[in-house]
Amino acid sequence: MSEALEEKIDTGTGYGLKPNGPLRHLAEVGPGTPYGEVLRRYWHPVGRSSDATSRPRKIKLLGEELILFRTRKDGTAALLHPRCVHRGASLFYGAVEDDGIRCCYHGWVFSPEGQCLEQPCEPGLGLHREKVRQPWYPLQERYGLIWAYMGPPELKPLLPRYDPFENIPDGHHLMVNDAGVGGGGPADLDFNWLQHWENVMDPFHVPILHARFSGEQFTAEMALMPEVAYEYTSNGVRSTQLRVLDESRVLRRVTEVMFPNIRVVPSPKLSEGTTNMIGWVVPGDDTNFRIFTVAVSEDPEFLSKLRSTHGGKPWATLSEDEHQRMPGDYEAQKSQGNVSFHADDHLSTTDQGVAMIRRMMAKQIRAVEAGSDPAGIIRDAESETVSITGGNFLVPTTSSGT
Amino acid sequence: MTENTSLINRKSGNTRPLLMLGVDGVIALEQAATLPTVSEHVTASGKWSREVLVPVGTKELIAELTESYDIVWVSEWGANAHVAFAGVLGLPPKPWPYLPAQFNKLSRIQRFAGSRPWIWIDDPLVDLDPLPADPQGLVLRVDPARGLVGLGKAVFWKLTDNNPDTDLR
Ligand code: FES
Ligand SMILES: [Fe+2]
Repeated sequence: MSEALEEKIDTGTGYGLKPNGPLRHLAEVGPGTPYGEVLRRYWHPVGRSSDATSRPRKIKLLGEELILFRTRKDGTAALLHPRCVHRGASLFYGAVEDDGIRCCYHGWVFSPEGQCLEQPCEPGLGLHREKVRQPWYPLQERYGLIWAYMGPPELKPLLPRYDPFENIPDGHHLMVNDAGVGGGGPADLDFNWLQHWENVMDPFHVPILHARFSGEQFTAEMALMPEVAYEYTSNGVRSTQLRVLDESRVLRRVTEVMFPNIRVVPSPKLSEGTTNMIGWVVPGDDTNFRIFTVAVSEDPEFLSKLRSTHGGKPWATLSEDEHQRMPGDYEAQKSQGNVSFHADDHLSTTDQGVAMIRRMMAKQIRAVEAGSDPAGIIRDAESETVSITGGNFLVPTTSSGT
Repeated sequence: MTENTSLINRKSGNTRPLLMLGVDGVIALEQAATLPTVSEHVTASGKWSREVLVPVGTKELIAELTESYDIVWVSEWGANAHVAFAGVLGLPPKPWPYLPAQFNKLSRIQRFAGSRPWIWIDDPLVDLDPLPADPQGLVLRVDPARGLVGLGKAVFWKLTDNNPDTDLR
């Protein structure tokens, strides 16, 4: 083709499009994956304390199928691999007893730490039973949640405390929600967790998605386009958003991500002060996650009332047509793909916060590969309480400087 | 990702080598730097701002490099690399080209460069996947605690002289 002719043809069509796919290093969570190994260096919520009972419950966490239960005698929560070490029947069909769970097939009993306590069909109830161990993970309970550590046992860190939940004022309640607060959709979110987590550093979408598209989902103030200061912190990335409300007042809204998957997003309905809630974006696998949120409030219904509406209607009641006309976070993030093709993104000015998270994730991958602790790991009991800076603050115009 | 590179490749007739420059860890350091830095407040057209550590001597080194190279920003800062650092680095008002790439940048660099020789200086963090044995240009990696300045000019020129495949001057 001659050069002159070639110049006239607009070649920017979809023909021959070659997608580059996801950034798997960052998005994938399974054992042995780069970020999966980062995630395994921290404690993760696996469920509410009330989820562990004498009825075995299937849990999927970081791509691993697990069984959660609570022993009958001293009420110890336990998290075991489902496949019985004997010949593989699932402990989902097991019976929880005083000190452990009994497999339905040949009756082997396992303690919360996987020791085999009894092999009823074997001579002497299992003379060699100490030779087997059912794979298990350590658990702790705090703030109404059960937390698991799935990483190298010798590197197990402390389970952090968070200052908003340590001194609860009189008349306030500590509460837990696992129904996807902030996800804008169902409790079980059916796409890659990173699409949700990195959205925390994207305040620029708020005036578009949550005002122009969905009708004003939060408040009139949140619909203003912010000016943002981004910074790395020792354990994540922080955005400080300024929205000029009028001549004398500025709304200073601070959000944080903390590694490896924590969202510190103060109420978008703008209750003032340091935030009273923190969320954990917990991957079940590469295409499913849940959000566990802990909050302190006078109103025991605070978290359930936070759910945003679309044109005044709850998400779950929307028709197909309404989902399309009034999309929210779920529609936007799910539609990026089951695992977004990050490598095809056109990162632009307003993606700086997202880019900072991705960069810090890559750094943690390198740190873990090099045998170091990733960001935010706590080993010293003196510093086990994490301070939160996220919140909504109304400030006079003169002192708002970023 | 598609890039409109054809005009540059075909029309410029320019044989000066391209210098592909990352920003984070190269111009802007994040961690405890092991050489003198200045904390700079940079902004992207008022949309956002950041405090970054720029090693002393970066401005002068960039100015010198522009005598021999055409610089292209290749980073997640996108067009803002030039905008945000214009004052700090004394950059010309007409922005240099940019490729908005954060990780695994090689194929985009190759596509942009076409037949022009190139050097690519970046933080090793950007290589999520390993680079091929022959990247078709010269790849230099900085120590992110020292950045571009930490490479040392002497080393830099030596490396380019020693590369028989690329006639860089
Ligand atoms: S405008 Fe941001 S995803 Fe389309
Ligand atoms: Fe949102």
